[in-house]
Amino acid sequence: MESRLLKPALAVYLGLFLLFLYGPMIVMAILSFQGPTGGPQFPIVEWSTYWYQHLFGQISGSRVSQLPVGESLIRSLVLAVMTTIVSTVLGVMAAQAFRTRFAGSGPIFYLFVLGMIVPGVLVGLGMALLSNMLGIDRAWWSTSFVLHVVYTFPFAFLVMLAIFNRFDRSVEEASLSLGVSPAETFRRVTFPMIFPGVLSAMLFSFTLSYDEFSRTLFTSGPRLTLPLSIYGTFSVEIYPNVFAFGVLTTVFSFTLLAIYGLLMMRSVARNNQQFKGQEA
Amino acid sequence: MLALKSVSRHYGQASALDGLDLVVPDDSYVSLLGASGSGKTTLLRIIAGFEEPDTGTISLRGARLDGIPPHKRGVGFVFQNFALFPHLSVEDNVAFGLRYREERPVRDKAEVRERVQTILDLVGLEGLGRRSVGAISGGQKQRVALARTLIAEPKIVLLDEPLGALDANLRERMCDELHAIRQRLGISFLHVTGSETEALLMGDQVAVLADGAIAQMAPPDDLFRSPTSATVARHLNAFNIISGTVREGRLRSPVGALALPAGIAAPDGQPMSVALPYDGISVKPRRDEASDGISARFVTAEFKGPSMLSFFRAADGSLIQSLVHLSEPRPPRYEPDQVYALDFDPELLIAFPERAH
Repeated sequence: MESRLLKPALAVYLGLFLLFLYGPMIVMAILSFQGPTGGPQFPIVEWSTYWYQHLFGQISGSRVSQLPVGESLIRSLVLAVMTTIVSTVLGVMAAQAFRTRFAGSGPIFYLFVLGMIVPGVLVGLGMALLSNMLGIDRAWWSTSFVLHVVYTFPFAFLVMLAIFNRFDRSVEEASLSLGVSPAETFRRVTFPMIFPGVLSAMLFSFTLSYDEFSRTLFTSGPRLTLPLSIYGTFSVEIYPNVFAFGVLTTVFSFTLLAIYGLLMMRSVARNNQQFKGQEA
Repeated sequence: MLALKSVSRHYGQASALDGLDLVVPDDSYVSLLGASGSGKTTLLRIIAGFEEPDTGTISLRGARLDGIPPHKRGVGFVFQNFALFPHLSVEDNVAFGLRYREERPVRDKAEVRERVQTILDLVGLEGLGRRSVGAISGGQKQRVALARTLIAEPKIVLLDEPLGALDANLRERMCDELHAIRQRLGISFLHVTGSETEALLMGDQVAVLADGAIAQMAPPDDLFRSPTSATVARHLNAFNIISGTVREGRLRSPVGALALPAGIAAPDGQPMSVALPYDGISVKPRRDEASDGISARFVTAEFKGPSMLSFFRAADGSLIQSLVHLSEPRPPRYEPDQVYALDFDPELLIAFPERAH
């Protein structure tokens, strides 16, 4: 009786939640196909891909200036890739270290995790002040990069910690007992087995860095990253070309996610086989 | 031969191994019997180098092993849970050591293939090389684990409860095969187990691990016939251990006064334990007069096919087990809660005089 009421209620709630979650994105996607004379709101004057062409500079003589995102997009991607590599490598190494208890491992754990808890505005401001004091120029590839690593590293670390938590150490010991050195064991046994976790850590680091705002705002100097330059256009007057760009970056993110999902499925399917077939 | 001298290992306050001495001769099968928590896995891990002893030395063919990293010891290890590499096929699992070991890796693909083939034939896994290790049965996994270890030609192979994860049928077959394989290769196996039947069946020698040290090491029949201490007898799971004090040539114990075997001369007041074989007891209806021997109440019986194990509770609450080999078709029937007299030939008792406290 209770579930007969509860289930539909929960279903409606879920529907509303999903609508709330994806509503803005859907509205943005629809508005990105606005005609040349339309503005960034309903109604759609005319369906067209005008603003997509505008985005790629294929419309000449438009009174709307081209969206200044080209370079900042490159910057953001490069920054995200740099952050992903460094954070994931550090995260895997740190989690590997935490597999054995060592003196001070408790406090160090909290110091690591603090990086994702401390408000971004605070860290950004602190970094800006520090670099001023030391006379270091702020730039997306230096000061911002450091903060991106500080921010994303704990995520990579925690993901890897969870992976190692379930990791059967005897498999590594088996490799050692066969005369294989610890480094080779990591390469041939440990790494292939933790690879799904490494993928997750990379995905976390990349997405968090790619759209990081507050830390970058204070530390990137004159050359802006993508979130900052989009915000910059927002403060003047907006045209549907921003929406067109938003759709493209979303498609890009989904592509990344799809690749991640595929790699993950392959890896998990392979690892799962070990749990099947105990019967003689 | 592998020799351990006064090896100790402590975890905080608790000591897992306490001054343990053990010698595993070359070309022999030694089984190590210990209860769970007796430190038997710790012992293997120390020999393999996954842990280091707090004190003591380990040597293999005269060379010190302790302090050397595990991958340089030349000690093979077969894990209870097999610990196969889940991302590799059977072949690649077996070839792993040959390909990637630090010393003398085999780079020649044809040679690797040939040696993998040879060892797979040896453990009875012909034709399964290309399978994923997830797609084979428990017994086959055990063989892969064994093949993977043997192909690296270790000087000694440590087996940590290797049959624990297999069902009973398979366990017996694997026992025979392990023996045959070891004899063919002529290397030493040190097989750790908590099962006394497995230990007695497998070992040329059986070592009993208790209280962090080897209590006794002997060929199985010697061990069974003459355990040197009550502890060893208890591990064999075939004796009732009864403790008491000697008075006028008899053992006064909480379960009753027992006659001692001839030739055991002990002064009055000597504390002593005796081992009474499960199958040395004949159960009689209760005698009326108070007399020697054990009176005990029948609790329950386990029918084991060719034998029956009955449990009796003595007056002081201790449990006494009686094993009857069922040569006659009709198993004996005892009434629950009925008191019976448990008779036995005193000559069957094995006496362990203890130092007075």
